[in-house]
Formats: sequence, structure tokens, C-alpha cells
Amino acid sequence: MNNKQFLNELSDKCQIGAEQAATQVEQLIGVMEKIWQDGDSVSLSGFGVLEVKKKNERVSVNPTTGVRMLVPPKLVLTYKPSSLLKEKLK
Amino acid sequence: MDNKINLSQLAERLAQEGGMSKAAAEQFVKNFFDIISQRVLVEGLVKVKGLGTFKLIQMEDRESVNVNTGERFTIEGHQKISFVPDADLKDRINKPFAAFDTVEISKEQAEALSRMDEEDEQETVAPVAPAVPEKPAVPEKPAVSEKPAEEPKKSAKEKRLEQKQAKKAEEAKMKAQKQQEKKEAAKVVDTPTVKDITQKKGTRCLLKVLIAILTMILVIGLVLFMLWPVVGNSVLDIVEKNLNKAKIEMVSDSVKTVAPAEVAPVKAVEAPAETESAKPAESPAVKPAQPQQKPAEPAVKPAETPAGTDALTAAKYPVIKLNSKDEAKDLSEFTLADVVNYSMEGVLDTYTLKKGETLTIVALNYYGSKKLWPYIAKYNNIKDPARLKAGTVVKVPVLKSK
Repeated sequence: MNNKQFLNELSDKCQIGAEQAATQVEQLIGVMEKIWQDGDSVSLSGFGVLEVKKKNERVSVNPTTGVRMLVPPKLVLTYKPSSLLKEKLK
Repeated sequence: MDNKINLSQLAERLAQEGGMSKAAAEQFVKNFFDIISQRVLVEGLVKVKGLGTFKLIQMEDRESVNVNTGERFTIEGHQKISFVPDADLKDRINKPFAAFDTVEISKEQAEALSRMDEEDEQETVAPVAPAVPEKPAVPEKPAVSEKPAEEPKKSAKEKRLEQKQAKKAEEAKMKAQKQQEKKEAAKVVDTPTVKDITQKKGTRCLLKVLIAILTMILVIGLVLFMLWPVVGNSVLDIVEKNLNKAKIEMVSDSVKTVAPAEVAPVKAVEAPAETESAKPAESPAVKPAQPQQKPAEPAVKPAETPAGTDALTAAKYPVIKLNSKDEAKDLSEFTLADVVNYSMEGVLDTYTLKKGETLTIVALNYYGSKKLWPYIAKYNNIKDPARLKAGTVVKVPVLKSK
């Protein structure tokens, strides 16, 4: 399902125009981004948790050349599905 | 920080942002995530522009090991939802750390890094300590808005450089300390430079010192062990002299009375020998013991060669005496084993026994064999050869083999 299909379905469900759906999605993502930048996580029942996690710096080695690289720390957006959703996968 | 924003809170914020009713916003958000979670199960892939991609992926069966029991078991294949954030979103999220690039590092630096990590965990190293609090300070920065985050980033980079320099300096220090340790070996523990070393290194130092002391004790013990034959010979010399005295006594006394008397001096000599041997055994702990032993060495050396052979005979002496004692007992019955071989014909010589001489010595002098003394005894009708007195005149028979 690509973005277009997604927006269509969303607009159908909310009974709003496709354009409005697109802008609302943008707004929603913007709001969530602010939440993540505050260090908070978005937790939704039945869906899961979207949160930013910090990965520590590490030394990685290129297996072919043996060159050691210091990989800097980084912030990554992670998604953990809820147990309810996981149950449905089985 | 670390708050969980739920559906209603999210909807509230969205309502503020988009200027819509809270109910509509909540409905919208609910639909938004419902569609994602439903569609990802049905179609296996949901792409949301600006957010990312949710994907259903198949995990293959894989083998694993139970950590507690060591048993192998298979984790059955299952499906998993993966999420890959949109590249733009990913970059924006990671903005506080964007200034860092992956750096190629040398082996030494990598080792220093890992070493530093260990030390950080131990929290024992003082010189690196100022660098430590900077690290946790970095992850806090994402909370700060984008613009102020730019500046701390740079400073963080500088701090990292400083950290690296500190690491190098520390390495140099450690090397210098190790060299000092090698040079001063035992004394290093007390030197003030060691104060900088962690406790771990202190114990290592102690171990080194202990090993050094042990090896020194071993060496001293070895030297004493090498010297022992020389010292021992001198002791054996004394033993031999005492035994000679015992020999003389034996001549005058009966064999039976002498036998215990003989053992006594040997024991008496053995006792000092034991004390002497005990002393060097204890002395290895004391270093000056070595030079004390050495001057004694040359004094003993000239006596060494004669003493060596004498000591051997002296050592055998008690055994021989026991044999003669047995022979003396047999003499009462007077069965000559060698009678078969020799017959006594005429007198070869007459001999007056001196103090300390026995028939065996006479036999040795005339026949060249101690074993032939019973012929002399028989020829002279001596019934108790062990009780001969000095001045006794014996006839030495001529022996002819049959």
C-alpha cells in the first residue's frame, strides 16, 4: 500500500477530502516529531509505540579490510508493535 | 522527557496545530493508525510519506541455545512488523548528532577506547574523570531545540578531541609507569607515581614483587643445595672420625656392647648434621646467609677428596661391622666356608696385634682379603675373635688352595 492508497482510504474513513487528509497527515507527523524531539514517545493502544532511541557510539570493523571505524552515536526512531498486534500476526 | 503520549494527548496537540475539533482530531489519529496496523497485516506493506514504511517480514527458523541449560532449540519462523523511518524524518530526528561522522581509527586508538570504556565502568581512573560526565551530557541535547543544539554539537566534537588527547596522554603515562615497574621491580609499590595507577594495577604490582621474592628464594635455595655436598662432606668427615673412635672402643669391648655404642655416636653425629642441614634450609629466607656460607667453602675444599672416599667407607662401616658380628656368632660353631678351598700349612709369620687392630686387618695385610680372617682364628684356636686384646700374638698360617 503506497502513500496515495493510504491517503485515499484515510479520507474515506474520516469523510474528508484527500487534500485535507494529506495536510492533516503532515500536521500529525509534525506534532509527533515535536513529541519525539522532546524525548517523549507516542504510544497507541492496538498499534504500538513509536519512540526515539539513542544508539551509543561503537567501533565497527570492516571484515574485508580490517579497517576500524568509530561509528558516532545516533538517534533512531523505532517502532515496537503492541502485543495485540503481535497476536494477530500468529 | 520519557513521557508516553497517548491517543487523546496526541489528538489534543493535533487539534491545536490544525485548528480542528478535538473529536475530529482524535478520530483522524485513530483512523490513521488503524489503517496502518490493519493494512500492514493484509498487504504486508504500508508507506506513509513523511513518516516511513511499515513492512511485514518473514523470519526464518533459526537455531538458538538455551543460556541456562546449553540445550539447542529452534526458534520457529514467524512474521514481524518492521518500521523504516523516512529518510527526511530520520535525518531530522538525528539532527543533534548529525555533526558526527564515522571516523577511521587506528588499532591503538581502538584499544585505548575499549580500555577507557572499561575504566569508565570501574570509575577508578582520576585523569579521565573530567571527560566522563561529558558523554552523558550529549544524549541530553536532543531535547534542546534545533538551533541551540548546533553549538553544543561543536563543543561536543571538541570535547571528543580532548578526550582522545587525554587518552593518548594516559597511554604514554601508562607506558612510562610500566617501564618504571620493570626497573624498580620490588620497590615500585611504594613509589608515589603508582598512586595514579588504578587499584587493579596495584595488585598486579604486588604480584610481580611476590614473584620476584619467590624466585630469589628459589635461587638461594639452589645455591645452598649446590654447596651442600661440600658442607655435607665436612659433616661426614666428623662422622668418620667419631666412628674411628667407636672402632677403637669396639676392639676392647664385646661386639654386643659395642653395637649399640656404635649406633649411639652415629646418631649423635647425625643429630648435629641434622641441625646443620636444618640451618641452611631455614636460611634461604635470609639473604646474608649466602655470603656466610661462602668463606667456609675453601676451608672445606682441600679435605674434600680424601674425606669423600673416607666418608664412603665410614658410611659402609656399620654395615661391615654387623657382618663381622654375624661371623663372630658363627665362629662358636666354627664352620669355615673357605676350608674347602684352602688348607693351612705352616706358619707364614707371627703378628702382634696393636690397639684397634682386628683379625680382619691382619687377614687383609697378609692375604689381601678380609674374608680370610677365620683361618687365622682357627689356626690360633681363638674362640672369641671379637674380644682380642692389644698385644695378642697370632700366628698367620700359610694358605694353600686345595
